Amino acid sequence: MLLLQVLINGLLLGGLYGLMALGMSLIWGVMNIVNVAHGALIMLGAYLAFWMFTLWGWDPFLALPAVIVALFVYGYLLQRFLLNLVVRAQLFLTLLITFGLEVVMINVARMLWSSDLRQVTPAYAGANFAVGGLTIPYVRLWVFVTTAVLSVIFFVLLERTRLGRAIRATSEELRAARLAGIPVAHIYAVTFGLGAALAGAAGGLWGMLFPITPVMGGSLTLKSFVVAVLGGLGTMLGAVVGGLVLGLAESFTATYLGPTYPNAISFGLLVVILIVRPTGILGRAGSR
Amino acid sequence: MRGGRAARLGVAAAVVALIAAAPGVASPFIVQFIINVFLLAILAESWNIIGGFTGYASFGNVAFLGIGAYTTGILLTKASLPLAVALPAGGLAALLLAAAVGLPILRLKGHYFAIATLGVAETMREVVYNVEITGAGTGLVMPIARNPLLFFYLMLGILVAVTAVNWWLANSRFGYGLVAIREDEDAAVAMGIPTALYKTIAFALSGAFCGLAGGVFAYWITFIDPDAVFKVIVTIQMIIMAVFGGAGTVLGPLLGALVLASVSELLSTQVVTLAELFYGVIVILVVLFMPKGLVDVIRRRAFSARAVAATLREYRI
Repeated sequence: MLLLQVLINGLLLGGLYGLMALGMSLIWGVMNIVNVAHGALIMLGAYLAFWMFTLWGWDPFLALPAVIVALFVYGYLLQRFLLNLVVRAQLFLTLLITFGLEVVMINVARMLWSSDLRQVTPAYAGANFAVGGLTIPYVRLWVFVTTAVLSVIFFVLLERTRLGRAIRATSEELRAARLAGIPVAHIYAVTFGLGAALAGAAGGLWGMLFPITPVMGGSLTLKSFVVAVLGGLGTMLGAVVGGLVLGLAESFTATYLGPTYPNAISFGLLVVILIVRPTGILGRAGSR
Repeated sequence: MRGGRAARLGVAAAVVALIAAAPGVASPFIVQFIINVFLLAILAESWNIIGGFTGYASFGNVAFLGIGAYTTGILLTKASLPLAVALPAGGLAALLLAAAVGLPILRLKGHYFAIATLGVAETMREVVYNVEITGAGTGLVMPIARNPLLFFYLMLGILVAVTAVNWWLANSRFGYGLVAIREDEDAAVAMGIPTALYKTIAFALSGAFCGLAGGVFAYWITFIDPDAVFKVIVTIQMIIMAVFGGAGTVLGPLLGALVLASVSELLSTQVVTLAELFYGVIVILVVLFMPKGLVDVIRRRAFSARAVAATLREYRI
């Protein structure tokens, strides 16, 4: 029974990891930018949801669309007017500029919301139900369901719409996309906006499960990295699978090895996966 | 920048001699500041070996600082060995770790290499957290050194050595090999450069100097714990200083460390949050306006709108 409980805990958390990694994997796959500020975007999403909840009393789940729109606009502007200027530079330059952005965002958040721990606690926060001896918190379940819905919407957008086709074409071959009349600067900005929106959504959901602080993003950026690489870079389904794998790995090590081990396991897993199978679990063989 | 090799060597020796005399006249506060600049400069020059010359952007060099600090620290406290043994042992441990880790992960390129190195550093921190001999999460307390000038001269010595190695790379067959790998690895292989060996040596050198610096750092700061010596931000600082000064040049990382350390020292007398905010803004501005570094700007004796526009045209879409 404990085994099943650990399994469920891992899956419920893993879904959220998957959502985080989707945004990172998209930006990475399309523009070859490793967005170090990804965790900071998650943090901004969490604080926006926190604001709407405490200032206006909005339910965090219902506030989510507003958070998504806000982060999309923010991400679009960042890419359009800043990152597009250096998008073809060497890799450590794009890494550095997103690092600079992260530092700026964290410190602005410190000024706006102080460094105190904050929590989004709707009335139903502590409620849970039991099925055959298993305890399932409502919030975690709904977070998982929301994550799944958002992922499906995102897949449909990417695979079935004109916009999605333009994004994929730009990702495959920049010059050919431009020749075909795709406004690549705009598409890049939309892509970053989508990545930021996914990060913001993950943040809004994260705030219901864990305390939020301005510096919460650092470890979440690392986890998004791990998951994106684990699943296979640029493969969107891979990010979801990678998220579930990481969630399960953490849940099992925390239960059976001790609470200080999950990070060691996830980073160790990352290094091993990179050495053994650099293209990730679902990645195409030989693409790198 | 002109003149023969001997003349340059003479100038370098004179500068080092001048700096070595500094503790005689400077206040203790200034001496501490200079030691800090030395430390940052050593780290930036070390990163430059693998990141600047070889073109492999390591995001985990802090792992070598950390293992150096812990090896030296454990030998000093638990084994009561003298510093003359403990310090080289720290450098050696870092060298071996870099070589052992480098062999498999230097096969990776670009972002994959960057993230694998980040993963190595984070794994090291977590391992140290969970092992008894390192004092786990509570850390290690070093014996107190009686002579504060010891750190000044140790750091200066390591800095001179790592700068000399960088100079050697800029002027030797081995260094040209590394640059060839950076510019086009497939072509380097075709020319008969044993790339795997060259990359591993470069990574090991980079690691060894970080390890030596870590050993001195541990003794200087008197207390280390996993979060202090395995901070991701330290690696990022190495990269920023090297890029700010000029990655792949001999003196660029040194210059970058000096300027940025001075800037953050001046800023930190103000509000801390504001200081960090400025740091972030500076990073963004550097990437936008002088991605080739200070040395490049000085060499061309111009920081013109035209030069900035030309780089931006190259990098934007």
